[in-house]
Amino acid sequence: MPGPLLAAAGGGPLARTIRAKLTEALQPTHLEVRDDSPRHGGPPGAETHFGVLVVSGRFAGLPLLQRHRLVHEALRAELAGPLHALQVIARTPQQWESDPHAPPAPPCLGGSKREQRRRDREEEEAAPGQQ
Amino acid sequence: MRRKLSGGSSRRAPMGGRCGCGAMRAAVRTGWRIGAAAALRGQAGRPFSQAAGESGGAEGGGGSGSREAVERLVREHPVVVFMKGSPAQPLCGFSNAVVQILRLHGVEDYRAHDVLQDPDLRQGIKNYSNWPTIPQVYLNGEFVGGCDILLQMHQNGDLVEELKKLGIRSALLDAEKDQEKK
Repeated sequence: MPGPLLAAAGGGPLARTIRAKLTEALQPTHLEVRDDSPRHGGPPGAETHFGVLVVSGRFAGLPLLQRHRLVHEALRAELAGPLHALQVIARTPQQWESDPHAPPAPPCLGGSKREQRRRDREEEEAAPGQQ
Repeated sequence: MRRKLSGGSSRRAPMGGRCGCGAMRAAVRTGWRIGAAAALRGQAGRPFSQAAGESGGAEGGGGSGSREAVERLVREHPVVVFMKGSPAQPLCGFSNAVVQILRLHGVEDYRAHDVLQDPDLRQGIKNYSNWPTIPQVYLNGEFVGGCDILLQMHQNGDLVEELKKLGIRSALLDAEKDQEKK
C-alpha cells in the first residue's frame, strides 16, 4: 500500500524542505515526495523515511549512480540529520513519459518489534514448533 | 518468495535506533560475524572521522573504517554487500531486498558485512563510497549503488550483464530457458 503522496504545499517541515531543495537543485518536471515513516515503525509525523520520485532533464545521459548522487547532494544536510532512509527514483522526462508509473512504496521488512512479531506468527503458522 | 522487492536504502539509525529495526536485540541474537573487518579492528591506524554521537566500537579508533580496510573488504570477492543484518536474517527491508535480488539471480556466494556490528565500518563505508546510506553493493570492487539501483538493474536486465562480466551466470537465464521449453 503506497504511503501518502504529499501535495505540493503539504506535508511536514522536512517534506517541504525536501521538495524545495530538489526543486531548486534539479528543476524537475515532475516531483513526488512520499513520507514512509509511519510504515517503518515510527510514530505519525516522524519524517524519517522518505521516497522521492524525481523527473528531470538534468538526468539525461547520466547513469543511475550519478543521478542518485545528484539527489543526495541536494539533500546533503538532511541526510546528515533527520533523514534516515531515502528511496530514490530518478528519471528523465522521456523515461517518465514512456512509463509514468512510480513503483509502490517499499514495505517495511525490517526488524521492528511489530514486524518481528508478525514474522514470528507467520513462521509459526507455516511450520509450528520449528526453530 | 514471501516478501516483495522494494527500493530505497537506509542510513544509520539516529540515536535510540529510531529506524525501528530492532537492531540491537536482533544483533545479539544473530551474532553475525563480519569476518575480515573484525580481524582488522584494534589495529593501529589513524582514527577515522566519526560523526558526532557515533561512538566507535573499537577501542583503538576507526581501524575497520579506514579507507585501506574498506578497500580490502570491497576487493575480497566479486560480489560484496554492506548491509544491516545478515543474508540469513536481514534487519532492514532495503538490505533484505538486496539479498532477495541476489538470491533470485542464484548468487549465494558473496561477502556480506553487517554494519550494525561495527560502527567504524558503518561510517567508513559511507565515506569510502561517498554514499549516505546502507545497503551498498560492490561488484568487482566497484560501488554499484544501493537497493534502488540494484532493483532497477535487476528489472532492466543490467544485473544479468554485470554478473556475466564477473563470470557469474544468473539463474534467471536458466529460468528463462526453462520457460521457453514449456
